[in-house]
Amino acid sequence: MTHATATQTITFRLRRYDPEKDAAPRWETRTLPVSEGMTVLEALHALKAEQDPTLAWRSSCRMGICGSCGMFINGLPRLACQTQVLHLASDVVEVAPLPNYPNVKDLVPDLAPLFEKHAAVRPHLLNGADDQPPQGEYLQTPEQREAYGQFSICIKCGLCMSACPTMATDPHFLGPQPLAQAYRYCADSRDTGLRQRLEALDALHGPFQCHLAGACTDACPKGVDPALAIQLLKRTLSLEALGLRGRKPTPREVPLAAEFKPNEKIPAPPPRTVPTHPRNP
Amino acid sequence: MRETRLWLLSLACTTLLLFLLGAHFALMHYSPVFYGQTVEETRTFAALLERGRQTAFLVIYLLFLAAALYHGLYGLRGILLELPLARSYGRWVSGALVVVGLAFFAYGTYVTWWTFTQ
Repeated sequence: MTHATATQTITFRLRRYDPEKDAAPRWETRTLPVSEGMTVLEALHALKAEQDPTLAWRSSCRMGICGSCGMFINGLPRLACQTQVLHLASDVVEVAPLPNYPNVKDLVPDLAPLFEKHAAVRPHLLNGADDQPPQGEYLQTPEQREAYGQFSICIKCGLCMSACPTMATDPHFLGPQPLAQAYRYCADSRDTGLRQRLEALDALHGPFQCHLAGACTDACPKGVDPALAIQLLKRTLSLEALGLRGRKPTPREVPLAAEFKPNEKIPAPPPRTVPTHPRNP
Repeated sequence: MRETRLWLLSLACTTLLLFLLGAHFALMHYSPVFYGQTVEETRTFAALLERGRQTAFLVIYLLFLAAALYHGLYGLRGILLELPLARSYGRWVSGALVVVGLAFFAYGTYVTWWTFTQ
């Protein structure tokens, strides 16, 4: 890898752990010349290519949308691809795996607890038609879309779960991400499944264990504001318990057009150049 | 919706405590301002007994006792549930706090009723 003209040599303290060799995690120090604009992810790539090919981490898109590269960087959970080294304003950059998750190896957390808790709140539309695919479209006004839109941009990076102080001590707490997604679906006009989610939500380690620290909102790289979602979820559950929530209207399906008529102004596609595949006839 | 109702009850107790504590402070610490009595006069045993014999104070004391006990023990339950222990531990915590709460409420009610009947 070639870099732009180096402007500063930065010391990287990396949390290393190989379960096959190490009894416990350890710190390893390395230095790297860093130029303006270089992200922590790019620095890790450079360190792996030039100094230690055994360094392990997760990453994919390198543009802040996949959520894979969550790490604990200088004391805060961040996406490595969205964190510029020189913007940390420190000669020493500490990189560790996300806290509140088991550590698989080096900077790789085991995110299974996140996905299990997320699945527990049934993060999909529930409207009495679980077994049947929809036969048409569910109409939704812009206002109805706005009610849950902010919470729908979660990329499941898990940074909020790392930042949460309740998660740090209570492994059974559902956590900001699942709770925010539970609210995302309860607030969706196409969903009528609040009662079906109560087993997970109206529980000992559910939303009422949230103390509104707000660290999850601070950590979120996409502006989801899970802390707000959890408080709105508490309000939703409270109104439901008091019988004040009212009955949500059953989402109405608008049938698709019986016959599809292509737009004549759009030219036909060119002929296929590859053989057909069973999954792509 | 058990947990939701328990949480709502804690909010109700907190609101009730706001008024009851305010009244308590007014009586016990600012009595010259609100009752025209000195602080020492309001705190004598005779004054305490006289208040305790009134039905209004009986009701206030019992409400105060119930709200403070629920508020405190619900908060303690929240703290204890955050300890990194087995999931089944939560039921034992809740059960133990219910027993403790009922015991303290019974004792406090006994003392309040004894004062009322003097």
